Amino acid sequence: MIGYAVLFGFAAISIALLMNLWRLAMGPTVLDRVLAGDTMVVNMIALIILYGVQRNTTLYFESALLLAMFSFISTIAYCRFLLRGDIIE
Amino acid sequence: MSIALIVLLPLLGAVFPALMMRLGKNESAIAASSVTILSLVLLLTNIFAISQSTVPQASWPWVPQIDLNASFFVDGLGLLFAVMILGIGLLVTVYARFYLSPQEALGRFFAYLLLFQGAMLGVVLSNNILLLIVFWELTSLSSFLLIGFKSDSQEGRQGARMALAVTAGGGLALLAGMLLLGQVAGSFELTEILKEGEKIRSSPYYLSILALVLIGCFTKSAQFPFHFWLPHAMAAPTPVSAYLHSATMVKAGIFLMLRLWPVLAGTQTWFYVVAGTGVITMLIAAVIALFRDDLKSILAYSTISHLGIMTMLVGFGSEMAVVACVFHVINHAIFKAALFMNAGIVDHETGTRDISRLGGLASLMPISAITATLAAASMVGVPPMNGFLSKEMMLEEVTHATAIGVAWLLPGLVMLASVFSVAYSLRFLLYTYFGPVRNDYPAKPHDPSRGLWLPPACLVVLAILIGLFPEAWAGSITRLASDAALQSKSPKFHLSLWHGWTPALMMSIFAFGCGATALSLYVPVRSIWNKALLPDAKGLYDLSLNACVRLARITTDRSFNGSLHRMLFLFVLAASALGGVVFARSSYERGERELLPINTSMFVGWVLVIVACFVLAWKHQSRLIALLTVNIVGLISSIAFIYLSAPDLALTQIAVEVVTLILMLLALHFLPKEAINEVISWRQYRDIVLSVAVGASVGFLCWAMMTHDFQSISSYYIQHSKPLGGGANVVNVILVDFRGFDTFGEITVIGIAAMAIYAMLDGMLTGPLSATLLKWTSGLRFSPNRHPMMMVVVTRVMLPLAILVACYIFLRGHNLPGGGFIAALVVSIALIMQYMASGFAWADERVHFDYHALIGGGGLIAAITGIGSIVLGKPFLTSGFKYVDFPFIGKVELASVSAFDLGVFLTVVGGVMLALANLSNLGRMTGDGKQ
Amino acid sequence: MELLVATAVAAMTAAGIYLLLRAQTFSIVLGLTMVTYAVNLFIFASGRLTVNQPDIIVNPTGTYADPLPQALVLTAIVISFAMTALILVMSVRSYFESGSDLVDLFGPEETVSKDRR
Repeated sequence: MIGYAVLFGFAAISIALLMNLWRLAMGPTVLDRVLAGDTMVVNMIALIILYGVQRNTTLYFESALLLAMFSFISTIAYCRFLLRGDIIE
Repeated sequence: MSIALIVLLPLLGAVFPALMMRLGKNESAIAASSVTILSLVLLLTNIFAISQSTVPQASWPWVPQIDLNASFFVDGLGLLFAVMILGIGLLVTVYARFYLSPQEALGRFFAYLLLFQGAMLGVVLSNNILLLIVFWELTSLSSFLLIGFKSDSQEGRQGARMALAVTAGGGLALLAGMLLLGQVAGSFELTEILKEGEKIRSSPYYLSILALVLIGCFTKSAQFPFHFWLPHAMAAPTPVSAYLHSATMVKAGIFLMLRLWPVLAGTQTWFYVVAGTGVITMLIAAVIALFRDDLKSILAYSTISHLGIMTMLVGFGSEMAVVACVFHVINHAIFKAALFMNAGIVDHETGTRDISRLGGLASLMPISAITATLAAASMVGVPPMNGFLSKEMMLEEVTHATAIGVAWLLPGLVMLASVFSVAYSLRFLLYTYFGPVRNDYPAKPHDPSRGLWLPPACLVVLAILIGLFPEAWAGSITRLASDAALQSKSPKFHLSLWHGWTPALMMSIFAFGCGATALSLYVPVRSIWNKALLPDAKGLYDLSLNACVRLARITTDRSFNGSLHRMLFLFVLAASALGGVVFARSSYERGERELLPINTSMFVGWVLVIVACFVLAWKHQSRLIALLTVNIVGLISSIAFIYLSAPDLALTQIAVEVVTLILMLLALHFLPKEAINEVISWRQYRDIVLSVAVGASVGFLCWAMMTHDFQSISSYYIQHSKPLGGGANVVNVILVDFRGFDTFGEITVIGIAAMAIYAMLDGMLTGPLSATLLKWTSGLRFSPNRHPMMMVVVTRVMLPLAILVACYIFLRGHNLPGGGFIAALVVSIALIMQYMASGFAWADERVHFDYHALIGGGGLIAAITGIGSIVLGKPFLTSGFKYVDFPFIGKVELASVSAFDLGVFLTVVGGVMLALANLSNLGRMTGDGKQ
Repeated sequence: MELLVATAVAAMTAAGIYLLLRAQTFSIVLGLTMVTYAVNLFIFASGRLTVNQPDIIVNPTGTYADPLPQALVLTAIVISFAMTALILVMSVRSYFESGSDLVDLFGPEETVSKDRR
């Protein structure tokens, strides 16, 4: 049963990633693209976790942990750059 | 051991005089001379063994793969030269102490001098010919430093450059010759090679070996046509000239010819090339010496002439000639060093070395006049000086030599040279010390202090002693050295002052008479000489040097017009063209390896990469968007690493990605946000075509590689990672253990890069750029809120969490994905978060450690871990590990590599933070930041 | 799967080289980053692709991914980060020194004569 759920999850995330890609490529503003990138990272975290579930291993979870911890830093950095120019004042 | 120490002492001891200079000149000189004396004592302990015709040896493998061993030996020849090097070195040290003025860096001088001394001892005591080459080039380098000691004079710099170019260039030829010689002889050890004379002389490579080795010897010993560097090297301080250019370095060529005499000499080619060069050099240099006005220049040409004599004697190929050569080496070193020192005294006291401004000094400087007269008498060959003896022996040998079937040719040429030799020697002496006293010397001359006249006086006394009692003072050493040079018992000879009315004595007397007559006709002869258009060796050298420079410049200008774009284009084009040639020649079939199935999600990832690449190329003008797309590509490659079973790489890539992004944004803040809009031109299309072509070929290569099976060398690591390295994570074990030395190099690179970044940025803050920086504003300010409260709170909560994660990743690194690199990046990001959220000033106040110290400390810890294993008798960076049970925590592995990993961790944190903090600090110095 | 990796490497290389040839500092930095990704993936691929066989040794006779290219790439990632940082700072500095972020600031003749001095 879990196998089917994981497969469904993969499919859903893949579609989501493709939609993110559309937003990233088309814009129209930079902010849209930054948001698209951020959402992409969220989807990738899900992808890694799902992969771990599928393979029945915890080896990859640290990667997801790091992504979760730091992807928001990237987004903040982009936003600060757009709002203030200098990201460290 | 003691033999190697003879060489190593001066090399290692070179630092002492430089250090002792802080205490004073005398202390520095004492340090230098004690090193020399120690080395000399060590050398003399070997005398007994050598006189019993054993050869003390010492050898350690250095690079055994290329037969390079640190092997030394002392036989008679080595002993003679080593004694000369150390003995005269000692006198020169004393002399230099009083000669150099207080303003000059005496400590540095002695350091160079000892360096040279060690290198020279290495040349004469090396058993391995490759090692000999190393020392040979080291003498060239240290003599470069000594000649150019007065680095503020152009003459000194030029002379030093010329000497280096000629002698080091000759050294390269010698290297080639020695490699050939070693190949032919089947060994690179001199003791072995010297037994292979027949084999070498009959080898088809004999002529090549001979030519290459002789180029090396002739350049070093200033033989025609390479003689021109020696007079220009006279720009050196006089102690250097007395040491290097009379007694030691220029004799290295003679030494090597003597050393290889048993294997190379004895053929017709040897006779004509070596003896011929010697005679020509002897004659030309003697003629030129007569027409020089600078005292040191006269002596320089005289030295060349005497080196010619020695070369000629080696070239004769008869055993007695070798004996004469060895004896002349001794005598020449003694009287020429004395003469150089004397010329230095004249220069020191009168302020000039120009012979036309001197004369009549005998009554003003009686002691110097006496030593000069005796030494010059020895140079001319007047009995009872030592020079007379070896000159007689030389003339005796010359009368036996027949060249091109003409019996009188060689004696005739040598006679002619002798006439000039007598003339210039007399001119040197008479025009300086005798004649009327003048009143227009640049300084008021008087005899110098004892320190200056004692060293030459010692040499002169020795010259007289050898002249009067040759058997007692020089007989045995000459015999020992000749035996060693010949590699057999030398012919019976007896050194004595009186041999009867031999033809040699007649020739000597005749030459003296002619020389004296010639000098009396000096003025008219000089005017002819001045009018004659003679080729100038230095001019030719300069001409060829300029031609080389011009050629290099033309080539550079043609190929590189200053445009990096063009350079890069050509480079990529050339690289892909090369690849294309190889590709076109080989047949390509898809490999036999079974391929992996395509996973749907990874296919989506692939689409993401491809589209991102297109977007990047299409939108690259908007730099922020370009950065974002690059980021996405990086992210997907980390996901690919996870899928393709490389969790360590994924972790590293994710962490590096964030840090790089922050760096890029910090830099982009200062740079234009939009790229310059290029007009779509043929250039752009050309670039597109090229990049697509290169991309496609790299892709093909990758595909070809992946579809073929291969035998990996990794099975060793997989099998031994746990038993030898004590870790289950093979990647980490390779990094910190198996290939720990590479990682050590890597963190060094990171440290250096961080320092370079710091230097570049710090220069901007303080240099003239700071004004530009202050005027600069970005003009982008959409939000008034500098430090939003939410962000501040979140990041402060994150800090301990992130550090906990870092500790976790660090500790488990040996057995599970993780390790020092990743942990360091996590910590750096956690810290940089604080800078971002709460501002540079806030964070900087609270960071209580210096990033520079972190880098250095990290490197130090890693190095100590490595050296620790050396102390325990294992190779560098050998690891040890142990499992320890801690209460509550459980079984923990304690490995020495954890300490190494800690070093890696600290260096990376230091490096990353140094770069980021300094780059962000830049923003505070701009117009915006100052508001 | 191999086909995907090969084409991805190709695309990254092409985009990277195109950006390198744009002769403006920031583009060059981005281009170098892309080339780095491509090269890292290439080196990684030299150990051949494997799925779900990470190099965490459970029993020494099992099959595992080739760890050596992974160790190489890990080093390469960190080193290339240091180099990226270095050229970024260089580009900032040169922008302030020259007031432009073009790499070829001078015409060909001028640059050469500047070198000669």
